[in-house]
Amino acid sequence: MQFKFCLEAELAEEALLTDEFLRQLMNVGEVDILIGLPTHNNSKTIAPVIRAIQAGILKCFPRERAVIINADGGSQDGTPEIVTGASIDDVWSASKVYALRTLHSISTRYARTPEPGTALRTILAAADLLRAKACVLISPEATTIQPEWVQRLLRPVYNDGFDLVAPLYCREKFEGLLMRNLLYPMTRAIYGYRIHEPYASEFAVSSRLATDFLNQELWNDEWGRIGAEIFLTTTAITGQYRVCQVFLGPKAPATHRSASDIVAAMRRTVGALFFTLDQNFSDWNTITGSQPVSTSGDPCNVKSEMVRVNRKHLRDMFAAGVAQLEPVFRSILLPSTLSELQRIARFEVREFKYSADLWARTTFEFAAAYHKSVINRDHIIQALVPLYRGRSLAFLLENGDGSNDDIENNVESVCCEFERLKPYLLEIWANGK
Amino acid sequence: MRALGAGRTSLTLKREGSWYKEAIIYQVHVRTFFDGNGDGIGDFQGLAQKLDYVQELGSTAIWLMPFFPSPLRDDGYDISDYESVHLNYGTLDDFKTFLANAHDRGIRVIIEMVLNHTSDQHPWFVESRSSQQNPKRDWYVWSDTDTKYRGARIIFMDTEMSNWSWDPISRSYYWHRFFSHQPDLNYDNPAVREEMWNVMKFWLELGIDGFRLDAVPYLIEREGTSCENLPETHEVLRELRKKVDAEFPGTMLLAEANQWPADLRPYFGNGDEFHMAFHFPLMPRMFMGLRLEDRKPITEILQQTPEIPPSCQWCLFLRNHDELTLEMVTDVERDYMYDIYARDKTMRLNLGIRRRLAPLLDNDRRRIELMNGMLMSLPGTPIIYYGDEIGMGDNIYLGDRNGVRTPMQWNGGWNGGFSTADPESLYSPSILNPVYGYPTVNVLSQKRTPHSLLSWMKHIIEIRRSTPVFGAGSIEFLHPANHRVLAYIRQLGKETILVVNNLSNAAQAVELNLSRFKGNILVEMFGKNIFPRIGDLPYLLTMGPYQFYWFRLRRI
Repeated sequence: MQFKFCLEAELAEEALLTDEFLRQLMNVGEVDILIGLPTHNNSKTIAPVIRAIQAGILKCFPRERAVIINADGGSQDGTPEIVTGASIDDVWSASKVYALRTLHSISTRYARTPEPGTALRTILAAADLLRAKACVLISPEATTIQPEWVQRLLRPVYNDGFDLVAPLYCREKFEGLLMRNLLYPMTRAIYGYRIHEPYASEFAVSSRLATDFLNQELWNDEWGRIGAEIFLTTTAITGQYRVCQVFLGPKAPATHRSASDIVAAMRRTVGALFFTLDQNFSDWNTITGSQPVSTSGDPCNVKSEMVRVNRKHLRDMFAAGVAQLEPVFRSILLPSTLSELQRIARFEVREFKYSADLWARTTFEFAAAYHKSVINRDHIIQALVPLYRGRSLAFLLENGDGSNDDIENNVESVCCEFERLKPYLLEIWANGK
Repeated sequence: MRALGAGRTSLTLKREGSWYKEAIIYQVHVRTFFDGNGDGIGDFQGLAQKLDYVQELGSTAIWLMPFFPSPLRDDGYDISDYESVHLNYGTLDDFKTFLANAHDRGIRVIIEMVLNHTSDQHPWFVESRSSQQNPKRDWYVWSDTDTKYRGARIIFMDTEMSNWSWDPISRSYYWHRFFSHQPDLNYDNPAVREEMWNVMKFWLELGIDGFRLDAVPYLIEREGTSCENLPETHEVLRELRKKVDAEFPGTMLLAEANQWPADLRPYFGNGDEFHMAFHFPLMPRMFMGLRLEDRKPITEILQQTPEIPPSCQWCLFLRNHDELTLEMVTDVERDYMYDIYARDKTMRLNLGIRRRLAPLLDNDRRRIELMNGMLMSLPGTPIIYYGDEIGMGDNIYLGDRNGVRTPMQWNGGWNGGFSTADPESLYSPSILNPVYGYPTVNVLSQKRTPHSLLSWMKHIIEIRRSTPVFGAGSIEFLHPANHRVLAYIRQLGKETILVVNNLSNAAQAVELNLSRFKGNILVEMFGKNIFPRIGDLPYLLTMGPYQFYWFRLRRI
């Protein structure tokens, strides 16, 4: 009797999808393609994104059974209603693309507050239930989306047998700094694959990867709720799934973010990445160097606009962080690294330098500290924020007049530093600082 | 003076005003059905012998394809004498006997009338082309150039390069919308209109019940137009209808106009043009909806279908003697249909697919039943193409559309029971393959089996005929969230029928909003079983793959 009670409690706890959502899924039935849209108060940008998705499906996959699923984290601005109310007749009149089939757009509220990981899990669970052969996630803020994105993301999975399709964007010169300076170089050095966007907001997955990923143990952890995307990438790599990259086009610049947003973003991305290192040590500890990933599409250049960055402010935040967090850094960093950081913290903007070598050492020491939980892990991630600001400033200074190619070369050299220093990470991972 | 000749006089059936609305039409070509004289070609004697079969099936009308004298270069649609019977099929007296026997069984007879064109062997054309001064010169459309009426499309695009052909005898071009051996009559000429009315009167006086008027959109040509659906064409047709109503009330006129619903609507006029018209765009969309497992193509075209006058009716069909025409679909839809239903290019002809119902549906009994279920329950009068009621196959290796015009398969014996002639002398080889051949698929064996397709067809026809709702009732689509389910309400007076079709290959659950029928119980019309009473909640049905239900709503 007690066992039965426990089982029921467990089952009740695992009810991820609401009955209403299940009813909607029953009506949709089996599909070939599922497009997921995780949203939260995106009413200002969602409509053109939906239209582009619909046009993409109708143009490139007119015969496939498709559904658009919105997993909403408690929007108060009518976002779900915009998704479910989007009519393919609008696409028809705008682009003369004829719909052979019914194209469902359904929505579910998975929580009252946004949790990207739960949204992803909801969408993948729906894909699993509907037996979707390919599942694409699109950011509701992807205002630069073109209908062709749908095809570029889907085709490698749907037609060519890939399991994960990561995006490549044409970015503004100084967009994606966290990706370029930390997430990409570190993922590449650790896991040995040159996936430029390991934490993507647009990507496609195969049914087998989606099912495997759903069965991971991460969902009840905090990382499962807030940072699942990076786990998806690492699951694909460690599970030896077929991964490729496609050029999508320009990525919409990030809207203005506050300091607290950067802390949250670091926790969601870098924290999750550090966590995966713990999980997957046996998969990455013997990897040396990196290999390219199959890449398709045409790279494009974005005409950079003048970026206004308050460099002095960045330097000041870096210097203040180094000074104020010194006790914390003493538990995380090697003395030589800390001393070097203190040295550069004294530089004024015009002479400021935070080399790739030092940045890689810093990051690896943070990762090792995280592994050993030398202090509260959350505090470790937060302590990295001012240092990341310092590295961002250095990146801006190094590439101030550089072309897009110059920037890519710079990123490549950062990656090489991370790869070169990987043995150093293994050393401190095992032995401590 | 036209001689009616000997032969049994037909008993004219009671001229009920709208008999065609509740009819079940059986389409047959005399040549294909039964050979009464053993020469290898079906004939009226043979057809008369098989009327019991048609009656047992439940059909209330027969539509005969052209049986007139003809060089048969287009299976009889190239008529060389409008007032006689082709020698292959017997005599006029044989026709009269057949007509009388049909009427004895309550079966009405609809014959084909090709108004638009004749054979180039027709004496009118022979005269017309003999010289530019011939009195019948103006009975056809002649021109010194082949540049007129450029706006008119070419219909038989696989075989014809132009709608004009050069006549070396009279040294000018003649107009033809179909094959070059089928010159178009000139309906601007009152003498032509008068003579064609005389032709129709000839058959009406014999007692036939209706005409299927072939290729009606093309009667008149005007520069700068598509030469289709012109107001002047409608004038000609209204004039004919007026005469029919005045002299032969109760006669039904059925339009063959392969057009979009909105363009077809004028053919009904204000109830003063055609009684019925084929709904061409619906048919391919039924096949499409089935394969897509999506009701969208069907509901979309029916929602685009305009209201028609109360006395008028749509004619619905799954297959007929022609190719499954894909003229009235979009390019995307046509490509899809070709890929799904005619991957082998031999199956394609013009803008269509020359295959029979059973092979199109992979001989899947559930899909055949579902398609027939929709045919019988959507608004309109259903037409069954001969042989489809037993699941006959086709022969795509025969030219043109002959692959769907093979001999009827009556039994597993000599020539499938069609003829006592040598197999080699049949007008067409019989189907012999192990799946669709007459040893496997034939009337006799299916008559002996209560669960055969033939027995099932008899049953569904019986149920369809048990209520006037299907023939004359209104339709209202329900819009359940499950797009694989096509559901509609048919209503006439106090009678209400709910039809639910699962277009999917998999079991489906569907919730129907039947709140306005709250309190009614559902009675399933095939098994007469009672289903739960409609309450406040959406009505939940679970349906097997390709299953369909017809429910009578009863307030008890």
